[in-house]
Amino acid sequence: MDDSWISFVYERLPELGLRTVQHVMLTGVSTGLAILVGVPLGVVATRVGWTRGAVIGAVGILQTVPSLAMLTLLLVLMQKIGAVPAITALTLYALLPIVRNTITGLDGVPAELTEAARGIGMSRWQQLRLVRFPLALPVIIAGIRTAAVIGVGIATLSAFIGAGGLGQFINRGLALADTRLIVLGAVPSAMLALVVDFALAALHWAIDPRRKAGRSRRLTAVARATAIALPVLVFGAAGMAYSRVQADVTIGSKNFTEQILLGEMMAMMIEKHTDLNVDRRFCLGGTMICHDALARGEIDLYAEYTGTALTAILGQEVLADPDEALQVVRGAYRRRYDAEWLDPFGFNNTYAITVRKGDAQRNGWSKISDLQPQAATLRAGFTGEFVERPDGYPGLVETYGFRFGDVRDLDPAIMYTAVAEREVDVICAFATDGRIIAYDLVPLADDRHAFPPYYAAPVVRRETLQSHPKVREALTALAGQLDDATMQRLNYEVDENHRRPRDVAREFLMSTKLLPAE
Amino acid sequence: MIALSRVSKSFDGGRSFAVHDVSLEIADGETLVLLGSSGCGKTTTLKMINRLVEPTEGTIEVDGRNVLQCDPIELRRSMGYVFQGIGLFPHMTVEANVAIVPRLLGWSAEKKQRRVAELLDVVGLEPSEYGPRLPEQLSGGQQQRVGVARALAADPDYLLMDEPFGALDALTRDTLQEELLSLKSRLGKSIVFVTHDIFEALTLGDRVAVMHGGKLQQMGTPDEVVGNPKTPFVRELFAKPAKQLAAFRDVL
Repeated sequence: MDDSWISFVYERLPELGLRTVQHVMLTGVSTGLAILVGVPLGVVATRVGWTRGAVIGAVGILQTVPSLAMLTLLLVLMQKIGAVPAITALTLYALLPIVRNTITGLDGVPAELTEAARGIGMSRWQQLRLVRFPLALPVIIAGIRTAAVIGVGIATLSAFIGAGGLGQFINRGLALADTRLIVLGAVPSAMLALVVDFALAALHWAIDPRRKAGRSRRLTAVARATAIALPVLVFGAAGMAYSRVQADVTIGSKNFTEQILLGEMMAMMIEKHTDLNVDRRFCLGGTMICHDALARGEIDLYAEYTGTALTAILGQEVLADPDEALQVVRGAYRRRYDAEWLDPFGFNNTYAITVRKGDAQRNGWSKISDLQPQAATLRAGFTGEFVERPDGYPGLVETYGFRFGDVRDLDPAIMYTAVAEREVDVICAFATDGRIIAYDLVPLADDRHAFPPYYAAPVVRRETLQSHPKVREALTALAGQLDDATMQRLNYEVDENHRRPRDVAREFLMSTKLLPAE
Repeated sequence: MIALSRVSKSFDGGRSFAVHDVSLEIADGETLVLLGSSGCGKTTTLKMINRLVEPTEGTIEVDGRNVLQCDPIELRRSMGYVFQGIGLFPHMTVEANVAIVPRLLGWSAEKKQRRVAELLDVVGLEPSEYGPRLPEQLSGGQQQRVGVARALAADPDYLLMDEPFGALDALTRDTLQEELLSLKSRLGKSIVFVTHDIFEALTLGDRVAVMHGGKLQQMGTPDEVVGNPKTPFVRELFAKPAKQLAAFRDVL
């Protein structure tokens, strides 16, 4: 057990290093910006009467916006994924403690000191610089410490919008239901928070004027130098972490196993059959984040499903015929998004209303209509996307004319254990999910065709195909190579046997000679 | 010379006056004490001299120039200011505190150092011992000595003192009063001193200006105001000391 832990961490050491540097950068830059903006704002608020209420109010409201919502909101507003919206969000969150503490610190300077400063002939600026600010500094630094520690925590969410950081491990761990990955992201984050807090406390100690008086000048000089070096280091980390070799092709994926596998396959095909650099931006939030990123050119391609594109993205009616669906989707994407649907991989990962085998046998359930009589007593566990998408639960209700008694939002990764352990009775499994077999579940036939076909295919920006024609070749080689059973097996390898998606993908591609053996 | 001419101050738009129609002069080298109980307007009057407060009516002239036409910052730097709260900057050493106005004026490090040592001597604090200390390491009396040194650092012609010994214990107060007395003649500066302590006023003042309810009751030498009170208030104020003075004279 110990062995596997050590090797688990050891294998991922380089990525852990990269993610930590990214994390430090995200927190450092955002806290730095918050200081640059927040401290002057706090000073102005104490000076100009009416601004005090407005500033505290505005900054306070920002704090109340839930972090995940803030991140995705900024995503939409700024039309970018990655570090920019992440740093913006983190900066906004860091503002409240910093602004408020600046105001409190300045307010806390005893009145007689301000009177003395004024009385002996200091200008307002001199009063601030020589007396009020130095005396407010301990409280301000306490605010900066709070902001930095909160920042380290919220920065873990940045992975959701493709900004990297230690949250990437957590995100991936959730998608692959792998606790070790989650821990690999969570523990270093916690340690980082402690280190940051300690470092800032040390900084405060170093510049405390009371102690300064009794200390050698050299120590003070060293402390000052460190205080300046720190931000320089952070910005250096920034440069390093994000100046990756400019990628030729960026591949995105949604955050579940199958998507990561397809993403890896496409990446490897491009890497091996062309001389292009590939940047993997996997585990982006969900369908809409991936689609928007593609439409804006933040990513160049990802694997999408015809049914999803038809109903969730294009907003059209369900089409039962797979070829027709592909045609419609192809045409619409060419016109609207300047993107090409290449030939499908071959499998149909439709939504499958799935129940426990025992229940199915006892009640004689083989198709969805069979559930109607007992629907009101059944508990359903669906993914958030399924509940919201028109081709999901709403479509089911409309086509079959019944609802389930209790519907819960579940993360795709825990749906399967939930139904296996009888916490729910029905789930919206994915047809190619290996866990259907693993957990002894039975998918019910969609007799009234509520769900459209979901044939997965690479969706690529036309611009990318024009600049790099070899990409088309590399990806078309995958067409028709994966049938339902194969995809299910590969998913099973990752989900149940906890193998790395990259290894499973490579093994498959080599076995089918799509990749040269090494 | 400082000249106040029909100076009034209202903080509420004219409904009430903290200082009402006060006229007085302070000659060069003279120590004038503004005496009265709390709320009589003496501190407000003092603060109008260095423009910490601006008069509602009347004019104040320092060396012939109207204070409202001077740059307030420069005005204040040219006057020493000592007050009850002492107000030494806790994050600076005693040296740095004393040298603050010279620093604002851009003196060289050498000049500042010399001046600090000189002044700490004058106020009775050994420079090498007290210089590097922080205010929190000093007693109240020592802090106010530093306060006085700070006020004198740039060698101003005028010294404004607002109940400087009010926060100190009686013994320390006595000691500092005596030292100020002997310092006065050495310094040769004009001092405006605010207090509510009758004996302090009579001891330190070349002239005493008694204030009550914002108005100037009487101004004159200690002998004059005690022996020759012009208003009922002044008479009441000095009744006890006057009796004692008379009794003392009788004995002699």
